[in-house]
Amino acid sequence: MKTFTIIMLLSLLGQNVYAVAFCSLRDPVAQIAQLYPNKTNQLSIVKTVDTQIRNQVKLALPSNDLHFSELGEHTLYVAMNNNEALGFVHVRSEQSQWGLVEIVWALDKNLKIKDFSFQRCRSPKKNIINDENFKNVFIGKSYQDLKALLSNDGVTANNLLLDKAKSAPELASVVLRCALKTLLITKILWGEELEEI
Amino acid sequence: MCRYFALLLLLSQPCYAAVTDNLRWSLDASARLNNNIAANNTSRMYAFGLDTHKVFTSPYGDIGYAVAQLYFTKLSNQTPYPWLFNSENDSQFIIREAHLNYTTKSKWLPNIRLGHFTFPFGLEESIDTNGRLLDYYHGKNLGTKLDWGLGLNKVLNNVEYSMSYTLGGKDDPKSINNSYALSGRIGSLSHLDLIVGFSIFDAKIDNIQRKRVAIDLQYYWATWGIMAEVALGKDNKVQQQWRDEKYSLIELNKTSTNEQLKLYGQYILSDREGVNSTQQLINLGLSYQINGQLELSLSSRKQLNQPESAKKQNLLRFQLRYRY
Repeated sequence: MKTFTIIMLLSLLGQNVYAVAFCSLRDPVAQIAQLYPNKTNQLSIVKTVDTQIRNQVKLALPSNDLHFSELGEHTLYVAMNNNEALGFVHVRSEQSQWGLVEIVWALDKNLKIKDFSFQRCRSPKKNIINDENFKNVFIGKSYQDLKALLSNDGVTANNLLLDKAKSAPELASVVLRCALKTLLITKILWGEELEEI
Repeated sequence: MCRYFALLLLLSQPCYAAVTDNLRWSLDASARLNNNIAANNTSRMYAFGLDTHKVFTSPYGDIGYAVAQLYFTKLSNQTPYPWLFNSENDSQFIIREAHLNYTTKSKWLPNIRLGHFTFPFGLEESIDTNGRLLDYYHGKNLGTKLDWGLGLNKVLNNVEYSMSYTLGGKDDPKSINNSYALSGRIGSLSHLDLIVGFSIFDAKIDNIQRKRVAIDLQYYWATWGIMAEVALGKDNKVQQQWRDEKYSLIELNKTSTNEQLKLYGQYILSDREGVNSTQQLINLGLSYQINGQLELSLSSRKQLNQPESAKKQNLLRFQLRYRY
């Protein structure tokens, strides 16, 4: 037992982090296969969202902040077909009146939205995800494209999106904020790694 | 087994990524104060440890992950003291979770888990209570909460399952007096609003044989949650005679919209053949996440029925936990 303990301790000495975060996919193998049916495997890249990243988000998206659980270690998954990268998958949480909404984002290699789904959403309006008109507002869009959908207050969606959201305006704004933070943080935090892929 | 496990850990590290790549770790310190009003005793428990999660990768993608949680734990005037300790003021290094999970690329073939892990059974399978005041009585119901062994697990499109064969030595990675434990749970996907699971358990631990079947349920609506577990079975605790056991728990919980505050209330009913009164317990608790590092928890347990030859349980607990 002592041998085991010593080896474990030696093998685990590494970089410091804020907290062990469990903000990732519940099961990457199954969930990424739904977003990328041709994938054969996924590659995890874990990096730290720290206060510096948080401040950059606040600067780029005034009136927005990251929930405390969004600080710490986070995973970007690269969907792979053998050794070819098909795109990226990232999960982000956004606070709402129904608790945290966890959204799984599939991004293409140009960091545009490919698809998305709710991993956890306890809003009674969550079926909005099945409305193609709503979903198509996001698909194929970049960070700059989606930022144009924010109203002047910086936190709610403007009428271009709300018209598609019908009876779920609050959830539509939650999805928009989450998309913007996902695209922004992916670019800032994993930009170097993604250029090499 | 420890050496084998450690060797596996080291052998898997040279693959592609350096040791610190994809490694999450945090220092975890907690102080717990227990005021046992029924026994007129105040005790404390201190824990300081390392909580880690590491994803192993190759150029073609992920291979699996390892979880390791090693804690130095000190008791102070804790009576009765847990089986891991030798006295009410003892201190020990304790391994909580410590396992490798090899994740196959296949959509169907199961992942393989090796090491020290929580039995896949009931509510505890999807709710981690390690280091928290919140408890689903896994250890009390099954003889231990964690054990060394081998497991298979997988998440499919509509169901997930986990099953294990472990050695029954609890913290010791070996079989003691032919000890063993077979455990398994199959259920709906654990991130949905409605989760239903079915579990089985067959074990010989500490020379006591236990057999259990259980159904668990979770339902979430907005910031409210309700969960329940019913376990039926038998064991031969008393004079090697089989006796029926029933255990049921129902919990109502409420979380604030920013998830900093969580309140819960539990009603637990357990019934043993040959014992005149059915045990009924009420647990009320809260946890407040002050920031990303600091969490405060409170809980109160009261026994509703009058036991035959002891005082009613009446316990207040407070815990401060800091993760860095």
